[in-house]
Amino acid sequence: MSTLTDRYVFAATRSLREPRRSEIARELSASIDEMAAARVDQGEPDDQAEREVLLGLGDPAALAVEYAERPTYLIGPALFPVYWRVTWLILAIAPVTVGLISALVEIADEPDVWPGIGEGIGTAFSVAIQVAFWSTLTFAIIERAGGTAHLPEWSLDRLPALPRKTQVTLADTVASLVVIGLVIVLLIAQNFRSFVPDGGDDAIAVLDPDLWSPWLALLVGVLVLSAAVEIWKYRVGRFTWPITGATAALSIAFAVPVIWLASQDRLLNPAFVTALDLSRDTVDAIGVVTICVVAAVEIGTVFDAVVKTRRAAAESRATE
Amino acid sequence: MTSGDVLPAHLQELRRGTAVIASLAALREPNYGYALLQTLADAGIAVDANTLYPLLRRLEEQGLLAAEWDTSAARPRKIYRTSADGERVLAAMLADVDDIRAALARLTGGNHS
Repeated sequence: MSTLTDRYVFAATRSLREPRRSEIARELSASIDEMAAARVDQGEPDDQAEREVLLGLGDPAALAVEYAERPTYLIGPALFPVYWRVTWLILAIAPVTVGLISALVEIADEPDVWPGIGEGIGTAFSVAIQVAFWSTLTFAIIERAGGTAHLPEWSLDRLPALPRKTQVTLADTVASLVVIGLVIVLLIAQNFRSFVPDGGDDAIAVLDPDLWSPWLALLVGVLVLSAAVEIWKYRVGRFTWPITGATAALSIAFAVPVIWLASQDRLLNPAFVTALDLSRDTVDAIGVVTICVVAAVEIGTVFDAVVKTRRAAAESRATE
Repeated sequence: MTSGDVLPAHLQELRRGTAVIASLAALREPNYGYALLQTLADAGIAVDANTLYPLLRRLEEQGLLAAEWDTSAARPRKIYRTSADGERVLAAMLADVDDIRAALARLTGGNHS
C-alpha cells in the first residue's frame, strides 16, 4: 500500500468515528489494492494503475458523505418546515420591536431624531442576525439530538385560508403603514422640531412634554401594534373576527386617552399656546375638533372592519 | 429542454434500488467487493465502485450481509455473503419489482417494449 492510497483513505474516512473508521479504512484500502492489481494484471504500470483507481473513485469527501452515519446537513427535511416557520415568525417581530424601542430610548435622550433612527436600524439589523443564528443553532441541536417527537404536527386546520378575492391589497397595507409611520414620526418630531416661528433656540413642543410618560409613549406603542395588525391582515388576506377584535381594541386604546386628554385640555403644551398667543376659544375649538376627528376616524375604522368581516364570513359560507 | 438533459437523472433514480437487489442476489454466492463489482458489470448492472463499497458497508451494518476477512490469500479480502435477513429483504424486493413491472405493463397496455 502506497502513501497515495493511504492519503486517499485517510481523507475519505477522517470524519468517521472509531471503531467504524478503522474498519472502513481497512475495507477501502483492500478494495483499492484489488482494483489496482487488476489494472496491473492488464499491463498498466503500478503507479499509473493506482492513480487511475483513485481518480475513478472520485472526491474522497463525497465518499466520506456516503459512509457517514450522521446527517451532513444542519437541519434535515423533517425539521426544516418548522425551523423555517419559527425563524421567520421571530424575524417578523423581534428586530422591528427591539429596533423601535432602542430608537425611542435614543431619541428621548438626544435633541436630534436622526441618530436615534440610525441606532434603531442598526439594532434591528443585529437582532435579526442574532435571531437567525440562535434559531439555526437550536434546530441543529434538536436535529442531532434526534428530537422530532414533540414537534407540532401539521393538520388540516392549520392550512392557510385561501385569499378570497384578496380583500386586503398590498397598496392598502402600504398606505396604512405609511400613515401610521407618519403619525409616529410626527408625535416624536413635534417634541424636538418646533413648529412655532419665533420659538427661539428651544424647541417648543406642540403637545405637552409632560404627557410623554406615560400617555404619548402609550400612543406610540398602540400605533406600533396597529402596524403589526395591518401586516397580519395583509398576510391573512381578508378580515376575520380576531383581526377586527384587535383593530377595535387598538382603536379604543388610541381614542379613549386622546379624547380624555383633549376634554381635560391637557393635550396642548401651555408654552405652545402662549407662544402662538391662542385665545381660550381657539384652544377649546382645537380640543373639540380633535375629539370629533379622532372619534370619527376610529369609529369609521371599526365600522369598516366589522362590515368587511361580515362580508368575508358570508363569502366563505357561500363557497363551502 | 430535451429529454437528453433530464434522462440521466431519472435513470439514476430508477437504478438506485436495483443495486441493492443485485448485490443481495449476487452475494448468495460469497464474494469480495471487487469481484462483486465485476459480477454485476458482467450481468449488465452498472454500479460505480464509489457507490458499491459504501452500499456494502450499509447492508452489512443493517445485517443483510454477513462479512468476514479472508486473510489466507495474498492480499486480505473482505468476503460478503447474503444473510437470512438479506434473503427475506431480497425476496420482498424482487416481488415488488414484479408487481411494478406488471402494473407498468397494464398502464402501457403491455406494448411498452
